[in-house]
Amino acid sequence: MERHLILEDGTVFSGQGFGAPATTFGEIIFDTATSGYQETITNPIYDGQMIVFAMPVVGADGIHAEAYESTTPKIRGVVVHDLAEVSTNRQRRMNLDRFLQHHNIPGLYEVDTRKLIRHLRETGPQKATIVDVVDDHAVDQLVATVLTNKQVQNTATPKAYANPGHGFHIIVIDFGLKHGILRVLGDYDANVTVLPYTTTVDEVLTLDPDGIILSTGPGNPEDLPDSVLTLIRVLQTKMPLLGLGLGHELLALANGAEIQALPAEYHGMNHPIQEIISQQLFYARQGRGYVIDEDSLDGKKLFVTHRDLVDGSIQGIRLRDNPAFSVQFFPDGAPGPLEANGIFADFFETVADYVQKNS
Amino acid sequence: MYKKIVETPVKKVLFIGGGETDFGLQGESDAAIYQVLPILNGLGYTVTVLDDNPYSLALESPAATGFLRTLTVQNVKKIIKSQKVDGVMPLFGGVRALRLWDQVISEWREADGVLPQTLGLSASELHEVNDGTLLFDRIEEIGLSVTASAVVHNQEEANEMLRDLELPLVIRAHNPVQGTTRQIVDRLDDFDHVVNRVMGQSLTNEVLIAKAINGLKEVSVLVVRDRDGNCLQVGASEDMDPIGIHTADSLSVAPVLTVSDQILQQMRIQAFAIADLIGLRGVLHVQFAFDEKTGEIYVIKVSPYLDHLANRMAVMTGYPVMLVAAQLAMGKKITEVYLPNAFHEKTAIMEPVMDHIVVKLPVFSFGDLEAMGIKVNRQLNSVQKSVGSALGFGRTFVEAMEKAIRSAHFNNRSFSPKYMADVSDDELIQQLIHPQDNRVLLLIEALRRGYEVDELAELTNIDEFYFYQLNRLIEIEQSVDRDNIDADALRQAKKFGLSDGLIARFWQTNFQAIRTLARQNNIQPTYKALEPSAGEFPEHARQFFATFEEENESEPICAQSVLIIGPGAFRMGDGASAGYMTSVTLSELHRLDYQTIIMNNNAADPTLLPHLSDKQYLEPLEVSDVMSVVDKEQPHAILVPGNRKKLIEALQEMGQHVIVFPKEKHHPSGPEKHQSEFSLNFFYDGEEKHPLVVTQHRPGEVRILDQAIDPALLDDLTLASPGLYQIIWRVDLDAWVSKIPLPDLRVDTWLRPMPYGHIAYLTKVLDIPLGRMIVRAWVGQLNEADRQYLAAIKGQHETAKLAMVAKNTDFDLHLQPDKAIDLTRFEMGAKVVPYESENSDGQE
Repeated sequence: MERHLILEDGTVFSGQGFGAPATTFGEIIFDTATSGYQETITNPIYDGQMIVFAMPVVGADGIHAEAYESTTPKIRGVVVHDLAEVSTNRQRRMNLDRFLQHHNIPGLYEVDTRKLIRHLRETGPQKATIVDVVDDHAVDQLVATVLTNKQVQNTATPKAYANPGHGFHIIVIDFGLKHGILRVLGDYDANVTVLPYTTTVDEVLTLDPDGIILSTGPGNPEDLPDSVLTLIRVLQTKMPLLGLGLGHELLALANGAEIQALPAEYHGMNHPIQEIISQQLFYARQGRGYVIDEDSLDGKKLFVTHRDLVDGSIQGIRLRDNPAFSVQFFPDGAPGPLEANGIFADFFETVADYVQKNS
Repeated sequence: MYKKIVETPVKKVLFIGGGETDFGLQGESDAAIYQVLPILNGLGYTVTVLDDNPYSLALESPAATGFLRTLTVQNVKKIIKSQKVDGVMPLFGGVRALRLWDQVISEWREADGVLPQTLGLSASELHEVNDGTLLFDRIEEIGLSVTASAVVHNQEEANEMLRDLELPLVIRAHNPVQGTTRQIVDRLDDFDHVVNRVMGQSLTNEVLIAKAINGLKEVSVLVVRDRDGNCLQVGASEDMDPIGIHTADSLSVAPVLTVSDQILQQMRIQAFAIADLIGLRGVLHVQFAFDEKTGEIYVIKVSPYLDHLANRMAVMTGYPVMLVAAQLAMGKKITEVYLPNAFHEKTAIMEPVMDHIVVKLPVFSFGDLEAMGIKVNRQLNSVQKSVGSALGFGRTFVEAMEKAIRSAHFNNRSFSPKYMADVSDDELIQQLIHPQDNRVLLLIEALRRGYEVDELAELTNIDEFYFYQLNRLIEIEQSVDRDNIDADALRQAKKFGLSDGLIARFWQTNFQAIRTLARQNNIQPTYKALEPSAGEFPEHARQFFATFEEENESEPICAQSVLIIGPGAFRMGDGASAGYMTSVTLSELHRLDYQTIIMNNNAADPTLLPHLSDKQYLEPLEVSDVMSVVDKEQPHAILVPGNRKKLIEALQEMGQHVIVFPKEKHHPSGPEKHQSEFSLNFFYDGEEKHPLVVTQHRPGEVRILDQAIDPALLDDLTLASPGLYQIIWRVDLDAWVSKIPLPDLRVDTWLRPMPYGHIAYLTKVLDIPLGRMIVRAWVGQLNEADRQYLAAIKGQHETAKLAMVAKNTDFDLHLQPDKAIDLTRFEMGAKVVPYESENSDGQE
């Protein structure tokens, strides 16, 4: 059935509906990666957003048990050019269409996605809606809609849980954790406890962890309560700490830096990232709407470890006086290149040092 | 081996060419070398090129000194000495150049002086790559999976191996005489025969035997690496057909659609690991097999040199693979690579991403051969049978596939829905299991007859995705068939890539009627830019393909443009030289300040190189595809190959200014064994006829005679358009001569346009830019130098004694024809050899 995508600036794109037949609102962004649609769709960082994929055919690899980045996708809509109906699920004929139906997420296909992306590249992310009929009512609704800024609250776990292993005890503070992080920690046989972001210093220290990970997550870091920053400020002095994505932005905020919204978000995995100390290039999945403001960085406290060579943006920072560091990109891949996996190796090395010194 | 190697920075580079075209060698090397010469020249290097392919464009590049010489150790050494070469680039000439340079290194003696540096790969790594087994041992050592294999030296050892390994087995020559050819043995009865045969293809009489992994999915990954170990993935492509069918004979699609991100990331990391292992500075193509049941990934082939995929990826993604690879080989870091202004400043370091789908289809010559009464083995297996390939660009798989089909076939007769109706059910099953060149049509027919998707997937080892897509195509065809001449059905059909011609066939009308209906209902193609950022950045894209969406990105370039219709896929015959002639034309028109537009779909020849034209349409060449571009661009003139009669007519009816590339559709077959065919070659500038030389053609070989020609002989001839022509006559003569009495030209001879291959050959041997002069004559811009050349020659010349000989193709291996194939008609390629040389394998 013909459905429509209306952007806040009044532009309308038409296509065929798939997934849930519901009306949806969200902020629309574009993604240029050519693989890993299921991981992307289920990544909690897309809470409140809709994605248009540059990859013209989406769904050709079905839906896989091992490609979930969260059990319940939080994305608000999926816009593609061509939808493939392929099922690889042994139990049900689950394909992308049915998957989105199941999770009540609307999709739109047969859209001139290249035109839409070229438009969004100029305007930046916009509020948008997918509807059956384009009329004044739909437009009014879109204008009146205020998108939530409570994405982390909506996505992150409210309760602590464990992902036991035999290695180092790592606490993951969950801001909208993607499963890839747990998968890598599993590779290291880490004994993982995931805590809600509302946790306290006392709760963390009582568990006597060997290291802390500030997880990835959706939205603007400045929408989170100050208590989070206070928590980070204490924990970073106690033991090794690694920030990823939103966790990276929070580490920067906790150490006096400022965060800016990007004029056009970047979601993809083809930008070269340079590790400054070694000058080596690598590629990693990125999904970012915010960036650390270069001028706000206190050089006495922090230094830049990684940069995106396309836009020059800061991609990694490290504290001078504490074993705490963070990266903007996703070193766990899922989807995306595995070259940045070394970030976890660095972290575990730091953890091992810490444990040795403190035992 | 003498090992004193140049240590100073390299200044003078020698490119070793790829030699003559053959199965699997469609002239990619030459296109690649030709493209990088101006860049290296601009960076201050002095460049030399050695090749024995008379169709080479690189040999004629003003940015290098070209040597048309046989590819031998001796000639490489000579040129190194005479040109003071201090660096050799073997990776651009493919496996032949690699092997030749390896041989030169091993035969280098103190008397030869200091050995030039090997660019892109160290000499020892080059040797390992060449050996193959050594390389695979090391790949296994770093923890990657390869299929277990062993080298055997005789039948007894082979039989012993047979006890340890289960059938099917892959058997191939170690140190093969030609490119690697894998043969699969799945019946015990064939084992001895194949081992014996393959042993004969090995320079060292060694045979590699490995467990066959038929049925697995094949994925190709292309990466580049710089001297500091920075790696970047250019792209990946998957084959629809499983392992067991040669990748060149399979339908391939990019980007990869049916393999998960996790597996693709594993392959990426493995390709990077292999590039690191050999310390590559350049481009690497790794072929993987993926077992979906076990999740195991096998490395099956490693090609750290320019090959068909490198050129194809460059065209498919817009990433300048060759320009980057050449500079990495010279020792630049990827962040230091210089690209011309037409590229976005970050292009070299950004991994290209595709927002379009490209389908590659093989082109076979079975039909042409059968028309000549030659039966060949059409069954596809691990030995390549296709002679060329064509690309289809679209925004859905079906659209890209439909466009690839008509790019590969020109006409739509062979894929109309009724074509397969006569195949019996038994035959259908047989062919599903043992696929032939009509693979895609057969799959469609099977679906039409109601076979279930999972059944077919099981039977063919083809991913279900493809059957779902073919089902969509059937639905579209059925809906077109149901509705007669209906705008909505037309809109839907166009969206899925069906051509006006095919739709007209359904509706039993002509393509003009379809065009009219489309125009009345505003069903017009929208041209999308092909650029490597998938829309993230504004790029000055000059490559476009048609689709049917909302936004069109292609605007006419100027009022005075010239549109050139490319020759399409490489076919047997003068396919390779047609690419040469088209490229020369583009280059010359550009030099004369014309704005040029090329339409083509063949990634192997140089015609689509970005610097050769101002704008490129990556499109099929059927009448309706060309018409749409003409509508869009309104070119001042259109150059069309002479064999496209229908197209020429249609364009002339539209009132377009058409210039015909003189070309006969088929060569008359060449001289018989005991005969010589003589040609009086001449140039017609539109007013006067200028005799060039007389050539003698005996089966498989052409030589130039040295005899004066009186221009007055040509006075009586009238010709329609400027160009190069031949007056032909045959004599019963089975020996080479240096002079021949001319017959009565009015009665005993016939006239034909000079074949492109002869133009290329004579251009080089006579050192006169004949191809360019035709173009200059077309546009009335012959210059004084041209006139002097023409006035001077008249049959008298001093040249190297180089004969052009037809490539001695191993048709037996590839096609198993039931009778000898006439090389004058079905040429795969050509090379030059000196006269009176022991190395003249083109003679009978």
